[in-house]
Amino acid sequence: MSFSSYFSNRRKLVALGWLAFLLLVAALADWLPLPYAPGDSDLTHLSEPPFTALAASRHWLGTDPLGRDLLAGLVFGARTTLIISIPAALLAVGVGILLGSAAGFWGNTSLRVSLGHCFGVGGLLLTGFLSIFRLWPAPELAWPLTATSFALVSLLATRHVELLQRVTLTFPVDQLVMSAIALLESIPRLILVLVIASVQESSVFTLLLVLSLTYWTGPARLIRAEVMRIRALPYIEAVRATGLTNMSILIYHVLPNASRSVRTAFPLSIAALIGLETTLSFLGIGLPTEIASWGRLMATARLDSAAWWLIVEPGLLLLGTMLALRQLARPDEHTGK
Amino acid sequence: MLRLLLTRLLRLLPVTWGIVSVFFLLSRALPDDQLLARAIESQLDTGSRAITAPQRQALELQLRRRLGLDKPVFYFSIQRSATGGQSHWRWHGLRNQYHLWWLDVVRGELGRSYRDNKPVASLLIETLRFTLPFTAAAAFLAIGAALWLSLWMTRHSRWRSYLLTILYSLDALPLFVVALVLLYLLANPDMLALFPVYGFDNPEPTDTWLANVGSYLHHLALPVFSLVLITLPGLVTQLDASLQHELQTAYAVTARAKGLAFRQVVRHHTLRNALLPVVALVTDLLPAMVAGAVVVEVIFALPGMGRLLADAAAARDYPVLQGSVLLIASVRLLSHIVADGLYWQLDPRLRSQL
Repeated sequence: MSFSSYFSNRRKLVALGWLAFLLLVAALADWLPLPYAPGDSDLTHLSEPPFTALAASRHWLGTDPLGRDLLAGLVFGARTTLIISIPAALLAVGVGILLGSAAGFWGNTSLRVSLGHCFGVGGLLLTGFLSIFRLWPAPELAWPLTATSFALVSLLATRHVELLQRVTLTFPVDQLVMSAIALLESIPRLILVLVIASVQESSVFTLLLVLSLTYWTGPARLIRAEVMRIRALPYIEAVRATGLTNMSILIYHVLPNASRSVRTAFPLSIAALIGLETTLSFLGIGLPTEIASWGRLMATARLDSAAWWLIVEPGLLLLGTMLALRQLARPDEHTGK
Repeated sequence: MLRLLLTRLLRLLPVTWGIVSVFFLLSRALPDDQLLARAIESQLDTGSRAITAPQRQALELQLRRRLGLDKPVFYFSIQRSATGGQSHWRWHGLRNQYHLWWLDVVRGELGRSYRDNKPVASLLIETLRFTLPFTAAAAFLAIGAALWLSLWMTRHSRWRSYLLTILYSLDALPLFVVALVLLYLLANPDMLALFPVYGFDNPEPTDTWLANVGSYLHHLALPVFSLVLITLPGLVTQLDASLQHELQTAYAVTARAKGLAFRQVVRHHTLRNALLPVVALVTDLLPAMVAGAVVVEVIFALPGMGRLLADAAAARDYPVLQGSVLLIASVRLLSHIVADGLYWQLDPRLRSQL
């Protein structure tokens, strides 16, 4: 989809404009001339409605029942939301593309790995894992194991060792990936995230990791189905006949077509992650209490039943953002698809 | 049929075992000092009574032993020595927390809550007795409303696009926003106080059962309504899309051409085929409702399983969390099997494939 077709559609233009504004405000949150900091309590102005601000108080959008300025909360909440949802969506889609395309492309039977490669890569992974977490039972084993794995991999790369290459194992990629997906989807996502976030230290980075590690299953399913469809098309057969390796067929010929659905759905992934993040913050789980967030802001509405602005203002921001993201993911009306 | 369901069960059991195990190990990886400190404070009934450090240590040790936290977590452990490089791998045998926990689960014991020392199984049953009727009612209402709406839309095509737009924007909002807005508009002394704000009245012995039922329904109206509202868009759009698709097929045109009324074509011919893709959505509905119940029960302060889960997550009450994860994963597993059985019944074409 080119840029010109984006701009030919007025609704998409509005959506794009709103998202750009939100991104700009979030990025410049620290330098904006806000009268108050997001965490500060102004005890002389509790639950002040918006637009009634006298020159003295300057709470333009009102305050919550704890006296915190709503404008600052909204700006910094936007930053928190975007800082979590965009990287999490990128990471989730990345992992989803990696695993889903491997599962769809090789299936259960066609990834045949020679025994030597199995040992070599397995040894490298093991040494890597053990060294990262410093879990060596005997440190004197570290160097020999790493050296052997390197030697095995490089020997096989030169294709001189017949014996280690002839014996191959089939690697059931599809089954492994699908059971990982089944594992993660056996529990509703909100509950999974809630439960995992509750047993971790709460921080922005952990929440980001937890969200992306639970969200990759959707993109992976999409990509897997597309890759399985494209793998059987004639042009792939033609490419295969030219003698390209599996890896380059997958990367240069299958993925550009297969990833289209995931690329179009990318704004929807961001929207879903924003929904999850705000819900979690509303429940008071996942983010440390001192970090401003739209969900936490709306949770304070229950302290004061008359404070409509605590629901309306973050709610409208959320609705606008979600609708804008969905608008971007919609098929273009001019081209029909 | 039975063989199919049995093989499905055998294939899905490891998944349940996996997710519960992963969660168990994750939850035990966190240091438990804070948790123990809180548990000790809650056990000392008088907050003012100060205890000496050795007393406190003894109490902590006692508590650890009672909760089974003094044993190793898994079959083996790796201890990193403080000086660097070297670390010790140790084999613990079967007397570890993980093994003992599964033994207890097999015997039907889910442990006791860290917070109030109640057995987890009875806590879960107690809350399920509330949550199950509540979510089931919401699910049935949502399915009924979705069917009615999509049938209505086939006849009033002028309203169709408006309705779809409304549902589309409703779908964009997270559940907690919808529930909060409903709560604010309809159960607020400053706006319209049509419904009670939260909680439940304790049934008075003097009241008639009719009054009790009335009060129950009155309290549940808003929570059920918000759950229905949030599940409706997905169901309606899916059902509407498949109905529109079926109405353009050749057999629908034939049925119309032989002189059947439009209503009859929809009811007897297209609807049955259009329902097929919706079955998958419907079987996903109950787990989704449990997730929705977390938010709704917190907002309306209802004593259900969702709130138990949210409170346990906030307080890091692991036995309760583990019990709920086990329960929800098994329900999900069962619903998968029910979906397979339903497909088998509904679509004879699939019988050769499954």
